[in-house]
Amino acid sequence: LKTGDWKTCATSGFCRRGRALSARAEEAGSSWHSPYSLDPASVSIAPADAAFTASVRSSIHPDAKFGLDVRVHEDGVVRVRMDEVDGLRKHYDEAASWSLIEEPSISHDVQWTVGKKDVRAKFGANEVSVQFSPLKVTLFRDGHEEVVLNGRGLMHMEHFRTKEGTAVPEVAEADDGAQKPLQVNAAAWFEGEEQDAWWEETWSTWTDSKPKGPESLSLDINFPNHGNVYGIPQHATRLSLPATTGPDAEYTEPYRLFNADVFEYLPDSPMSLYGSIPLMHAHSAKSTVAVFNSIGSDTWIDVKYPKKGSTQTHWISESGILDVFLLPGPTPEKVFEQYARLTGAPVLPPAWALAYHQCRWNYVSSDDVRGVQERFDESDIPVDVFWLDIEYAEGHKYFMWDQKTFPDPVEMIQDVEALERKMVVIIDPHLKRDSNFPAYQLASESEVLVKPKSGEGEYEGWCWPGSSSWVDFFNPGAWDYWKSLFQLSPRADGKWSWTESTAKVGIWNDMNEPSIFNGPEISMPRDSIHYGGWEHRDVHNINGMLFTNHTYQAAALRADPPLRPFVLTRSFYAGSQRFGAMWTGDNLGTWEHMAVGLKMVLANGLGGMSFAGSDVGGFFGNPDAEMLVRWYGVGIFNPFFRAHAHIDTKRREPYLLDEPYRSILRDMIRLRYAMLPVWYTAFHEASVTGMPVLRPQYTVFPKDEAGFAIDDQFYVGASGLLVKPVTEKGATEASVYLAEDQVYYNYFTHEAYRGSARGKHVTLPAALHEIPVLIRGGSIVPTRERFRRSSPLMKADPFTLRVALGADGAAQGRLYLDDGETYAHERGELVWRGFSASMDKKGKGRTLRIASEDLASRDPRGAVERGALGAYEARNAFAGAVEPVRVEKLVVLGLGARPTSVRVEGADGGELEWEYVAGVGADGKKEGKAGVLTVKDPAVSVARDWAVVVKM
Amino acid sequence: ALDKTHGVRPDLLARYAPQGSTWKCLDGSKEIAWSAVNDDYCDCPDGSDEPGTSACPNSSFYCRNAGHIGSSILSSRVNDGLCEPECCDGSDEKPGVCPNVCDEVGKEYRKKRDAERKMQKTGSKIRSTYIAYAHKEKTRLEGLIAELEKEVATREAEVARLREIAEHAESLSAADIEHKQKSPLYQSLLTHHTALKSLQREHKKHLEREKALGEVLDSLRTGYNPNYQDMAVLEAVRGWETLAGLPHINDVRKDESEGAGDAAAEGQVQEAEELEEGIWDAAKIEKELDKLLKEDHTSLLLQHDKHIDAPGPSILFDLSSYVPDSIRPEFEAFRDIVVSWLAAFGLAKPVDVSGSADFARQELSDSEHSLKLTENELKEARVDFGDIFDPKGFGPEGEWKKLDGLCLSKDTGDYTYEICLFDEAKQKPNKGGSNFSLGKFTSWDTQQEPGTPAYYHKQRYTLGAKCWNGPQRSVELVLECGIENALLSVAELEKCEYQITGTTPALCTPPTDDDATGKDEL
Repeated sequence: LKTGDWKTCATSGFCRRGRALSARAEEAGSSWHSPYSLDPASVSIAPADAAFTASVRSSIHPDAKFGLDVRVHEDGVVRVRMDEVDGLRKHYDEAASWSLIEEPSISHDVQWTVGKKDVRAKFGANEVSVQFSPLKVTLFRDGHEEVVLNGRGLMHMEHFRTKEGTAVPEVAEADDGAQKPLQVNAAAWFEGEEQDAWWEETWSTWTDSKPKGPESLSLDINFPNHGNVYGIPQHATRLSLPATTGPDAEYTEPYRLFNADVFEYLPDSPMSLYGSIPLMHAHSAKSTVAVFNSIGSDTWIDVKYPKKGSTQTHWISESGILDVFLLPGPTPEKVFEQYARLTGAPVLPPAWALAYHQCRWNYVSSDDVRGVQERFDESDIPVDVFWLDIEYAEGHKYFMWDQKTFPDPVEMIQDVEALERKMVVIIDPHLKRDSNFPAYQLASESEVLVKPKSGEGEYEGWCWPGSSSWVDFFNPGAWDYWKSLFQLSPRADGKWSWTESTAKVGIWNDMNEPSIFNGPEISMPRDSIHYGGWEHRDVHNINGMLFTNHTYQAAALRADPPLRPFVLTRSFYAGSQRFGAMWTGDNLGTWEHMAVGLKMVLANGLGGMSFAGSDVGGFFGNPDAEMLVRWYGVGIFNPFFRAHAHIDTKRREPYLLDEPYRSILRDMIRLRYAMLPVWYTAFHEASVTGMPVLRPQYTVFPKDEAGFAIDDQFYVGASGLLVKPVTEKGATEASVYLAEDQVYYNYFTHEAYRGSARGKHVTLPAALHEIPVLIRGGSIVPTRERFRRSSPLMKADPFTLRVALGADGAAQGRLYLDDGETYAHERGELVWRGFSASMDKKGKGRTLRIASEDLASRDPRGAVERGALGAYEARNAFAGAVEPVRVEKLVVLGLGARPTSVRVEGADGGELEWEYVAGVGADGKKEGKAGVLTVKDPAVSVARDWAVVVKM
Repeated sequence: ALDKTHGVRPDLLARYAPQGSTWKCLDGSKEIAWSAVNDDYCDCPDGSDEPGTSACPNSSFYCRNAGHIGSSILSSRVNDGLCEPECCDGSDEKPGVCPNVCDEVGKEYRKKRDAERKMQKTGSKIRSTYIAYAHKEKTRLEGLIAELEKEVATREAEVARLREIAEHAESLSAADIEHKQKSPLYQSLLTHHTALKSLQREHKKHLEREKALGEVLDSLRTGYNPNYQDMAVLEAVRGWETLAGLPHINDVRKDESEGAGDAAAEGQVQEAEELEEGIWDAAKIEKELDKLLKEDHTSLLLQHDKHIDAPGPSILFDLSSYVPDSIRPEFEAFRDIVVSWLAAFGLAKPVDVSGSADFARQELSDSEHSLKLTENELKEARVDFGDIFDPKGFGPEGEWKKLDGLCLSKDTGDYTYEICLFDEAKQKPNKGGSNFSLGKFTSWDTQQEPGTPAYYHKQRYTLGAKCWNGPQRSVELVLECGIENALLSVAELEKCEYQITGTTPALCTPPTDDDATGKDEL
């Protein structure tokens, strides 16, 4: 890391001002009060909606006017919006429009009441109060303060002013003769004496011209009754965010949200990284709430824990309006649902995208790609996707194949696709300024490139191809241009399009922070001009998302009927989950990066970006065999599973390792493939409910305080799989925390462990070939245990169901299937099954009934993202196609007694073949090897209702 | 139900028979129902109960391929919906999925095999000429060694003889020379010599340093992609380009006149420095300096004396010309006496004998040099002789000897790659800039046993020029049988590690009878 490449709060004018404001408030103590107040006379309540507007004034700038708009949405989310009214200029007010999937519906039921001191509204257990003077917004639940805005009086929206006007502020006010001591600056107690970096700012060798002057936004957001905050990805830090101010501060800098290409980033730091999601969860044993601060500019966030069980945060943004959404929860599930309703749930990816991705900077030629594919097949290691980094493109002109090394791109892609594999090709947002490069030339012609600060011409910066320009995706004119580039068939107008490609090629969007080598903080000058005259500073964090948004849309149009595209992005913002996957960027091949990558993936999941992963093996460096094996152990449990390596590294494809490492890697990758049904089902649930695919401990056990800070183990969707990847050198065992009085089974050895309601740590074997994976008692896990060269080749293969009996003798599980590549599932072409096991005591013995039922018929709205499915036809064409797919094996864990009979329920159900290995039962207190019943080939269809009855 | 022997290898067919109603897994670990064989459920730990399905991982499936050659595929390929090229009979998939194409495949295979055999045959003919060459070389070297041994003996005797003469001559004049060498002129000459030598050494050091720096910067310029993020690197590259008059790599031509940049660069080169009258340029310095430093100062000293002596050596000798002719005979007689006296006291030089000592020494040194050359030649001849049939050298049949030092090259557009076999691999930029050594020949494929055919399919060239921010360059040369010695492809699979493929007749062994009788299997 070159620290000099990056600003600190102290070298960033507006952050310096924000922290100074906070310091003055701290010093003033109880005498401090916010200068902002609401004019009660101005309150105007909408007749039918739970919305009101009002005027806000600041005592230090009586001439500045502000308008406040507060609404309660149908789901109880409270949106607080404040902007300057009739100012000299406009603050950027479009950030939310890029994030929200639609204008949220305002409640018609909730009523605002104007009181003496505040305006109030009650809904359910919640109540929101907007206090007049000083202005303060509080969300209560059962009378307790959940979220407080401006409770510490740090809210400050710097209004637009003229350079001259502010040079002699309010001196003329001394109308009773200039005898009394001159108050040079009436705002000084709040804003400070100096015009610190108001009109221009020089940092390193760059000068930011700041034509609009000071316009930053400071806001304190407090959670007086929540002791843990999570989210605001992306930072390389723990899930439960360490303090940045106060006595127990672990960092001296605030968390920063400023999308940046940080070379060799630190594994423990509040520094900004490639993506920014201004969403923070606050959690206590009583409730979970969240705040979505919809802002697109550089933002610094101080976190302080003034006392146990209480959190204060301070958000300082460079520009934009105040537009904050208070998500009332009160559970993690509710928060995820509320956030998904605002910015959208993660898109359901094509199924193959959940399989193994093999990348390297760079596979150097089409023959190299074919060679890698051959080596995988010789070693019988499954892989679905081969990636091409920037060197495929001649002169780094993306789309343009280097004819010398890739003379036959379409044939190469077809050779890969012949085995139902896919290729992903990188397309970066910087366009080489070369008039012979169609993508640049067409953009230049249609004038959709970002402009320099003059507002004229094309902004020019330096990136991989040398001198480059950037498409301004804020410009609607750029959207059709971008789509047209991806057209597979020659265009009618004769213009260029990427015909040397196929409809299934995935797209990798890198460097979209944007990364600009000769720009300030390796990015675009903040005074560069986007569409509508907005400066880059206003939209910086949103910029990367628009690029993937339009790439996603463009890629979807290549086939008819359309195929679900796969797009990977490095930069992201709130809403990016609608366009595909992200990865944690250029990590290092160290144990620290391996460990923190997992925490980052969990944090991104909280922010909606469930489809996340870290480069397996570490981007930089040459990991030894032990580290590489452990990294695959992490990778197969990352939602996005891709091995990638820097151009300077040695090749490290799994087949290159010596034994026993090669076989260990092969078995790990095969485990990922066996579990693909679990992953796809978890992604399906995420796409409907917004629940993250990887679930941190506190989201599963929100009342167990001992689990709030746990971020090195997690549950995979609702499957009941509890995983703790090993990220330590030389480990031989791992300690896993169990939060409940329930039996857990080692996935591999069937060892039964007993948790405790008070919380308990159990120790699992974790030699190099072992990954600590437990199945929570009460879960049914569907897998496919035949190994193919690629995941689509598994589509006719049978399923295995692991029935892990809970302490009560019951278990549930789910399985979602569709064609994995089109949008036919949105029309009900899908199979969504619920599995259940229940124990009955009838007559002499006991009976275990394991059954499969159709969930989609029962809950058609839960079957498809955003409830698009009106009705469901169980006999749909897809269900027909998978009808022959059977369950080939049932493995029942925790059966304490030997069965007397196992039959398929119904007409001619003869006795099935089965094996029983005696061991401990799910009930009781005993640990040790669980009793395991293996039922051979019940030959029941995965698409149909059935039941298998086990009598004991 | 599936046939129980579906997918079973011919040599195992006999073992797929029931014992009553049961069957034992091939590894003997388990007894299962005969009906459980090929029932698409994996019962045996060794996977042997499912030869014809995909139920057991890590097992294999045999396709008979009637009309062609039978082959085994991995069980992961069975019933996956794809028709395997290895199973032309389509038996790897459910009936009706894959057509039987064994007739065409077999025909195609035989055609290809015949073509391969033909090539192999032609290649092996060339190879046998290589082997013949090696034998000829062996004979030649044997003769050469004998000859050289004789020559060494002769030269040794000559050296001994000359040494005796030189030592004798030197013993006569050593004292005299010692005296002369005390002259301030000679001492100053020595100092000049030392100074010149030191300066030359320093100069050489600087030149080497400059060259090394140039190489570092060249490789930075051509290979700085990876850490491009660093604008400081970019500045360095542009600075170097200006200094070295190179065109901007990776740059964008803002105006369309492509030549503009190159012309500017040429101009810079032409702007040669104008030299002061009489001052040497670099080439002359290099040529003349060595000559100067090689001078034998002692003989120079003696020549100098001779020169001084020649027109008017000393007043004593010169005086006679001023003496009137009448008394000259007497004077000369007197002078000779004086001179002999002076000589006796060492004050003047008598007849100069040191010239002959110097000559003898020169003769000796020349002769010693010739001896050394011959000895080296002999040593080399012996090494070559040893290498010819060394499995780690030119192969057990000496088939590679012919190719020793043969240079092959491949133009890939930006660069031409050249490998001189058993010597060095090089990368030459086609658009100017310095050549890089990609490494010197180090070994054959060390992963394989020396002497086995596989051993000769790879050559390693290592310890080439160091990469900026990377390792020393190296090459893996992968060779196949072919009728020409040629390089086919170049790929930099890892930074600075090149894989170059090529063909050579040296690898073409004659097609064996086994190949010919392969037809019987069809």
